[in-house]
Amino acid sequence: MMSDRQIIEGCAKHDRKAQQVLYDKYSRLLLGICLRYSSDRAEAEDILQESFLKIFFNIKDFSGTGSFIGWLRKVAVNTSITHYHKNLKFRYHVEIEEYVSVETGVTSFEEDFFTSDELYKVLNELPAGYRMVFNLYAIEGYKHKEIAELLGIDTNTSKSQYSRAKAVIRQKLEKLEKLKKSYSAGE
Amino acid sequence: MKGKKEDKVLRELFRQKLENAEVIPSPSVSTVLMHRLGRREFLRFNPARFNIWYLGGIIAAGAALTIFLSSRSGDNERIQPQQPPAEINKIITSDNLVSVPGQAVLQKADENNKKSVMAESEESVIQSEVENKINNDINNPVTGNGNVSPAGVTGTVPKNGLFNESIADKDKLKSGIRADGSLIESSVTEGCLPLRVKFSGKTTPKGIFRWTFGDGGYSNETDPEWIFDVEGEYKVTLNVFDSNKLLSVSSTIITVHPKPKALFEISPENAIIPNDDIRFLNYSTGAVKFRWDFGDGNYSELYEPIHSYNKFDKYNVHLVAFSEYGCSDSLIVMNAFAGSGYFIKFPNAFIPNPTGPSGGYYSSKSDEAAQVFHPVQSGVADYQLKIFSKLGILIFESDDVNIGWDGYFKGQLSESGVYIWKVRGNFINGEPFTKMGDVTLLKN
Repeated sequence: MMSDRQIIEGCAKHDRKAQQVLYDKYSRLLLGICLRYSSDRAEAEDILQESFLKIFFNIKDFSGTGSFIGWLRKVAVNTSITHYHKNLKFRYHVEIEEYVSVETGVTSFEEDFFTSDELYKVLNELPAGYRMVFNLYAIEGYKHKEIAELLGIDTNTSKSQYSRAKAVIRQKLEKLEKLKKSYSAGE
Repeated sequence: MKGKKEDKVLRELFRQKLENAEVIPSPSVSTVLMHRLGRREFLRFNPARFNIWYLGGIIAAGAALTIFLSSRSGDNERIQPQQPPAEINKIITSDNLVSVPGQAVLQKADENNKKSVMAESEESVIQSEVENKINNDINNPVTGNGNVSPAGVTGTVPKNGLFNESIADKDKLKSGIRADGSLIESSVTEGCLPLRVKFSGKTTPKGIFRWTFGDGGYSNETDPEWIFDVEGEYKVTLNVFDSNKLLSVSSTIITVHPKPKALFEISPENAIIPNDDIRFLNYSTGAVKFRWDFGDGNYSELYEPIHSYNKFDKYNVHLVAFSEYGCSDSLIVMNAFAGSGYFIKFPNAFIPNPTGPSGGYYSSKSDEAAQVFHPVQSGVADYQLKIFSKLGILIFESDDVNIGWDGYFKGQLSESGVYIWKVRGNFINGEPFTKMGDVTLLKN
């Protein structure tokens, strides 16, 4: 088994074996990230490929001081953002009004009620802009100001998109919850 | 603050489930990625890789540019047009003819009508040679020696002839025109990089030899040996001095052909021998002909052959790449299929058939709906799979790799959720494996 150190050194020398090991070790985690930023699996795999090309060509830029996984994550997230910008003009823009009126119940969701596949699906179905902001804020933990810079939007836009994203997600989860409960009750 | 709290719930939910979630990429992603990577690495300058080749390339490009420019600027450098090697020998005089009016003669020379062309164009050859000679000699410390006279010049015409290693020509020249005979002999006139050439000066009058090899190198030996380590065409000149007098000047062209680079990759990377068709991806550069030795007694001359092996063994795959000039480079991958290629992998979720237990029999075709939890594998000889519930209760066991878990326990469909599996066993080559993980039982 190669250590991360050895993998990095190997990849810096463009050693095919090391590249393969790196891919085998981290592709699943990175695809897990890319899938959050995509509307489907095919798109996520495209982003994954781009990410790995960047990783392989820029691995020498990894200083070795921070966490390697953290660096890999960052590449995947940044590639997702680039991909989003690239495809922005081809995307179908959803009318915001459609989603605005959502009543916010005091629902708290049980931790293990939803599978990760279901949560992925919820994210995949979100309008791209919402999805970007939600991922960056809720999961990656960026500040709205940073997100605004990354996406080239206004800080307030980031905030309002985030709260709308939340509302849509909540709506979807509640619907899903009802569906699942009725299914297991009927069983 | 209700809003804050709600926000946190949602955030925690997604973070917990998805922050470190893993999704298995389709196998094609890796294959395509590696192809793209290979292509891109070749297009991209990368100081970490192929240093020497890039350096060589740059030097070669520089040399080619210099040669190109100098031939364009119309000075007296006798640069032969790029020709296949055989042709170069045949049209010795074409370089002289270039500056002569009447391109048609040159055309004919290409058609192997060497002798008649020579006869037809003899006059003009000599004339141009005179011009060249005079121009040349103006730059050299000529002391008005008889060598500059047309007679002397005529003597130098055939000296190229000597390089053709055509014995008939040589003999003719020796007996005929070679008068004062300061002539260069070289072991070869062209060859592959790096090219070692033995020169010898054939001269009757004793004198001081001064060789310049055209690449910045020089020698004062009578019979020097020189290695050309950069591709290109070099004008090698021999000046013979007697005290301060230049007795004779001779020159010849040495052509150094670039070396190709043999490079290939084996796909798929962790091939299963003997099951897989092995694709050999050819990344060679500067080559036109290839010879593959697959190491099992089979050969191919295709650009990118596909080969399948009959049995698992250690194979050395050997590629020889030939350039258009017959220069070659080779690459051997020793024990190319080192890993057995045997593997066992498990999915992380399945959806049992809700209509009833199936007994766990599966085949890759029958289980497209992922109703049975089972591995994908190659080369498993013996095997033991155990599946536990979250509470640690053993709920399934199988000693047969062809029987997976259908999701039923004592005839009842199990709860959806996470189960723990553990597997141990041996591959057919005796290599043991032990793996564990979790699987999510899903319900439609």
